[in-house]
Amino acid sequence: MKGIEAVLYYDGPAMAVLGISVVFMALIVLAVIISGLHRALFFWDNKKLYFNKACLMFSSPEKTPEPAAPGPYFDDIHESARQINLLVHAIGEPFSLPRLIRRAENIGISHAHSTVSHLIVNNLIVPDRKGYFLWNQQACDRLLRQSKENR
Amino acid sequence: MDKFFYFINQTGFANIEVSGLVMMVIGLFLLYLGIAKKYEPLLLVPISFGILLVNFPLSPLMAQPENGQPGGLLHYLYLGIELGIYPPLIFMGIGALTDFSPLISNPKTLLLGAAAQAGIFATFLAMLALGFTDLESAAISIIGGADGPTAIYLSSQMAPHLLGAISVAAYSYMALVPVIQPPVMRLLTTKKERMIEMRELRETSKRERILFPVIVILVTGFFLPTALPLLGMLMLGNLFRECGVTDRLSKAAQNELNNIIVIFLGLTVGAKCSAYYFLTVETIQILVFGLVAFIVGTATGVLMGKIMCRATGGKVNPLIGAAGVSAVPMSARVCQTVGQKDNPSNFLLMFAMGPNVGGVIGSAVAAGIFLAVL
Repeated sequence: MKGIEAVLYYDGPAMAVLGISVVFMALIVLAVIISGLHRALFFWDNKKLYFNKACLMFSSPEKTPEPAAPGPYFDDIHESARQINLLVHAIGEPFSLPRLIRRAENIGISHAHSTVSHLIVNNLIVPDRKGYFLWNQQACDRLLRQSKENR
Repeated sequence: MDKFFYFINQTGFANIEVSGLVMMVIGLFLLYLGIAKKYEPLLLVPISFGILLVNFPLSPLMAQPENGQPGGLLHYLYLGIELGIYPPLIFMGIGALTDFSPLISNPKTLLLGAAAQAGIFATFLAMLALGFTDLESAAISIIGGADGPTAIYLSSQMAPHLLGAISVAAYSYMALVPVIQPPVMRLLTTKKERMIEMRELRETSKRERILFPVIVILVTGFFLPTALPLLGMLMLGNLFRECGVTDRLSKAAQNELNNIIVIFLGLTVGAKCSAYYFLTVETIQILVFGLVAFIVGTATGVLMGKIMCRATGGKVNPLIGAAGVSAVPMSARVCQTVGQKDNPSNFLLMFAMGPNVGGVIGSAVAAGIFLAVL
């Protein structure tokens, strides 16, 4: 048996369609899971932060204590640097500022705009000359070292 | 005098057959390609030597055991293929040798690995139309995946009589990737597309690299258990490499074990190329349609690359789609070479490694589908 007759006898078209569909489906599922993997790990690393944020969201407004009057936002630049550093690791480099700020707001970093702006002024976030930004790890390490020494 | 004539009758000279001599010439030619031209020498040298050894007249190497006498050496070594042992072990070595970081940092390139498997299923239909059975067609079409161990595994399970021709075709085309792929890549892309520079990949963490093989196994294991012998071993090898606590096992899988299995596999695949099985019209059809499968796979990978290029606003160089056929790392190198011809500052190698290792997973999945359905 040859030709179309043989193809139809062995149910060739159905097999071919099924085959390529399963290959695509399996690899798409894998791609989706893998693309979310680093975000899931970031979430796991910062679970306390997310947990606190979730608690705040579900607590009733009358029970919420009045927030203390905010001091200068970047008093603790070391803590800001540490948090944004983790965030940059998660979203990868180079990154755009709007994306960084949006993600920072999402995970509950307060005054994300001012914090990022302050890090740019202190050269912890530097432009890559293509419209994106990079994390200056050396400056960050220096800052954290100073912070340790001061303590 | 009788003893003398008996001895003469037992020599190779007295039992020469033309077909055997033709196979020996083919074996010597492949040996020349492996040694002088360095075409996949680690496999072509043992394969071609195996062809030589079994095609001598009265060669006892593949003899079956009979009358209480043991069989030939290669007959017993061949059990490793027949029982589906060698290809998964080779996959373990490949897993231990492969860095999946480019795929983890750019997982959408898995789609390129999937698209390049289209050649397999297109060829499956063509082989059915030529009069091969469904099992034979599946075994032949898997050549389009450009993955030697997968081709050997599938043909040993589905069409053992075609194993010699299929494996020779698969490894020949893998060696000829730098010749076969560039014309297809140039034909389907514009110069502007070939010049696209891709953005740097993010670095992957150790935890991501450790979790990757576990996730692949969890997903594919439930999707397609028949793909587990190949994918399971591939991922086990990669876990040895990445977990950081099994360095000795990783080195053994990469070196000693891998090398031993390559010798056994090559020799026994060659031993299956006896004139009786090899010098047939089917072999020519397998060689021709194996090439077609490979070209179609390359073309569909590049076309998927073009779609991704459009969808991302020109951030993906479509050339890397050609690496979706899983000839690791040869086809990724070809992408780098072709890309650099039009844009010397372009470095596509790491980007092409993503679809390349995606293609290994894709072709193993395709093999699993055939094993599950047929």
